[in-house]
Amino acid sequence: MSKISIPIGPQHPLLKEPLSMKIDISGEKVLGGSLRLGYVHRGIERLAQKRNYVQTIHLVERVCGICSHIHTTTFCQAVESLLKLEVPPRAQYLRALMCELERIHSHLLWLGILAKHVGLDTIFMHTWHDRELALDVMEEITGGRVLHGANQIGGVRFDLDESHFPMIHANLEKLRSQILGLLDILENEPALIARTKGVAPVSQKTIRQYGVVGPVARASGVDVDMRRDNPLPPYDQLKFSVVTMPDGDAWARTIVRAEEIRESLNLCEMILEDLPDGEVSKRAPRNVPEGEVIIRSEAPRGELFYYLRSDGTDQPARLKIRTPTLAALCLLPVQMSDIQVADIPVVLAGVDLCVACADR
Amino acid sequence: MFEALFYLLIFPGGFFLVLVGLGFEWLDRKLLALFQRRVGPPWYQPLADLIKLFSKEDLLPKGGNELVATLLPLLSLCAVLVAGLYVPIAGFTPYSFEGDLIVILFLMSVPTLAYYLAGIISIGIYSILGGGRSLLQYFSYEVPFLIALSGPAVLARSWSIEGILTAQFTLGSFVLFQPLGFILALVGLIGKLKRDPLDIPSAKSEVVGGSLTEFSGGKLGFWHLAMNIQAVVGIFLIINLFLGWTKLANPFVAILVFFLEFLVIVGMLSSASAIFARLRIDQLAGLGWRILVPLSLAQILFVILMGV
Amino acid sequence: MDKVNFEVLREQIDSLVGSKCEVYDAIGNDDALIIPSERLMDVVALIDQIFDGAHLTTITAQQRAGQLDLIELMYHFYQKFAFTIIVRLQAEAPSIASILSILPGADFYEREVAEMFGVKFTGRTETPPLLLPDDWDQGPPFIRKEVIDE
Repeated sequence: MSKISIPIGPQHPLLKEPLSMKIDISGEKVLGGSLRLGYVHRGIERLAQKRNYVQTIHLVERVCGICSHIHTTTFCQAVESLLKLEVPPRAQYLRALMCELERIHSHLLWLGILAKHVGLDTIFMHTWHDRELALDVMEEITGGRVLHGANQIGGVRFDLDESHFPMIHANLEKLRSQILGLLDILENEPALIARTKGVAPVSQKTIRQYGVVGPVARASGVDVDMRRDNPLPPYDQLKFSVVTMPDGDAWARTIVRAEEIRESLNLCEMILEDLPDGEVSKRAPRNVPEGEVIIRSEAPRGELFYYLRSDGTDQPARLKIRTPTLAALCLLPVQMSDIQVADIPVVLAGVDLCVACADR
Repeated sequence: MFEALFYLLIFPGGFFLVLVGLGFEWLDRKLLALFQRRVGPPWYQPLADLIKLFSKEDLLPKGGNELVATLLPLLSLCAVLVAGLYVPIAGFTPYSFEGDLIVILFLMSVPTLAYYLAGIISIGIYSILGGGRSLLQYFSYEVPFLIALSGPAVLARSWSIEGILTAQFTLGSFVLFQPLGFILALVGLIGKLKRDPLDIPSAKSEVVGGSLTEFSGGKLGFWHLAMNIQAVVGIFLIINLFLGWTKLANPFVAILVFFLEFLVIVGMLSSASAIFARLRIDQLAGLGWRILVPLSLAQILFVILMGV
Repeated sequence: MDKVNFEVLREQIDSLVGSKCEVYDAIGNDDALIIPSERLMDVVALIDQIFDGAHLTTITAQQRAGQLDLIELMYHFYQKFAFTIIVRLQAEAPSIASILSILPGADFYEREVAEMFGVKFTGRTETPPLLLPDDWDQGPPFIRKEVIDE
């Protein structure tokens, strides 16, 4: 059969964000592919050098539409580390609570997209319905569903009081029962297993060479999680397990993410239980002393990397953001061989695309 | 003369089939929405969609053949409308002859072939892929579908649907003797209609819109109408072949029973789209030839032995 | 391999390069080593060999105020512990060997640095731009300090 090249993107029903792939196929067999980014490149790294630190918090919040909170948290931690500012423990716990809620909603969103790509619209509708429970909690405590504006240098801008707890506990409880049902379906639905099991498996060595992080790496058996390996408070005081699977295929990634939702729910409960009393923020000076710092934290999609250099003014001298999606995207053309056309959506969904993250 | 026109245009032909086709689409979408915790469309939504499609500009990409692109949807619509004329509705059949089952099965295949052609003559890559896939799918489901549908004919020793109905009045409903054949016929129907979970030729996330990617406006409207009527005719056919109950004296009861059976089958189709993931084309071929064909052969063997 | 820490790694790199490399300790919570730019390939190959597949987090390029004639490339690794390899290039026509043959995952990072800072990576095939538009007119590199300060 002759070779033809099909375009996927920048506009395609498969993609929620603009990304361009050219995939060479012969009949139903995929031969290879190439990738092109940049359709939502906003030059955030450059913009950050012309804004002061307070403005930059709100700038980095807009790197990603799904994991906005982890970006501001990591940036604030970087600035606080340069300022040598001790953040109140209550603020650390509240930040972690938001991070875990964000992980839950990000993973649920991803599960829905995978289900939609394999033609299981019912699971898509149900997971996105359940995701609203997590979003409702975030809206209740910070006032924003997607962009929370929750962080400031030196702490957080919201506090919990007694009236919040019943609603949070009720929603988490509902989410937990939904996740249990969902896991049951994911592990037993034969058509879903047939579509995802054994699709484009990735070996441990490849994962390391391509620097892939997060659930994709963990699904290949690479035991890496920045919350545990390189913990920033309060994760050094919280107990949780890191989920890994040996197979490295799309099914393993599904299970890893579903189990991580469960771990995150446990973490949320733990954080609410241990929540220390006290103030939630400290005053921070406008100017940041000279210095450079690297912060690695665990975003829903994996290791998030921030490099920040200050030259003593109120503006960052250099801010470098490496989002986890960029690493996973490198792997995408590699996976686009020896699969079928019908597997393209599964492979694309498997790396959990966040194009806005990758472009910045 | 007047009577023939009525049969052709009003009932059981043209107008009635279009109406039931739109009703089927609404019911299907509404049921699916309920399974998925959504609200679903209001009852006039399919009609509104159709009107809107016909009022839209009809575009054809450069290099497409206007004549063929117009003829294909019309051809499929005509084929399924004619097929609908020969399928008895609640025992009422104006034109019946020995062998009409075969004619209907032939007419029902026309939209699939037209769909394939629509993909192949197009210059879009997604259309070509979708067209090729529709033919591959056709070879996978059509054989078990035909064998399953010939089961009732063998049992009734007649190739006319009315003959099969009459045989069921004495023997009892054929679904009792051929439950397997009934299920296989439903699976084949899902494949024929390219419905979820066998919507491989038009899978949105893989080939955008399949063969129909480049169609728009009125032509797309005709395609949708043809597919809906094809679904209705297919369901009517399965009801007649498998769910004919002993002679119902009262025509109102007969109509009510027919309508209820229609609802049950639509419910089965909707729940199938709600609970199963889409198969890959190689998995479908494997399912068709390794599982469905042997099963349908076993069913027909059972029927033949029963007849002896 | 589990016993490798930054000191061990530094000794190995020193003996490979043949002279003592300068330790750069201004980065909070990361150890860094400045190596001569022409030895980068060898050092990365050594790291890859020690850890059986090195995990490169990213490549950061930057210029420092007062040293605008230099472009600094920081290769951030994470392998049980975090460390950074720094090379310094002349801002006038900067060029360095591509490490793509050892670490295929560096592809996007190298392309990004090439587009944003105008650094030329030698020894890799020519690729279309990753982030910039196809018809980008090759204007001044995007995040160079002197461009921003204008």
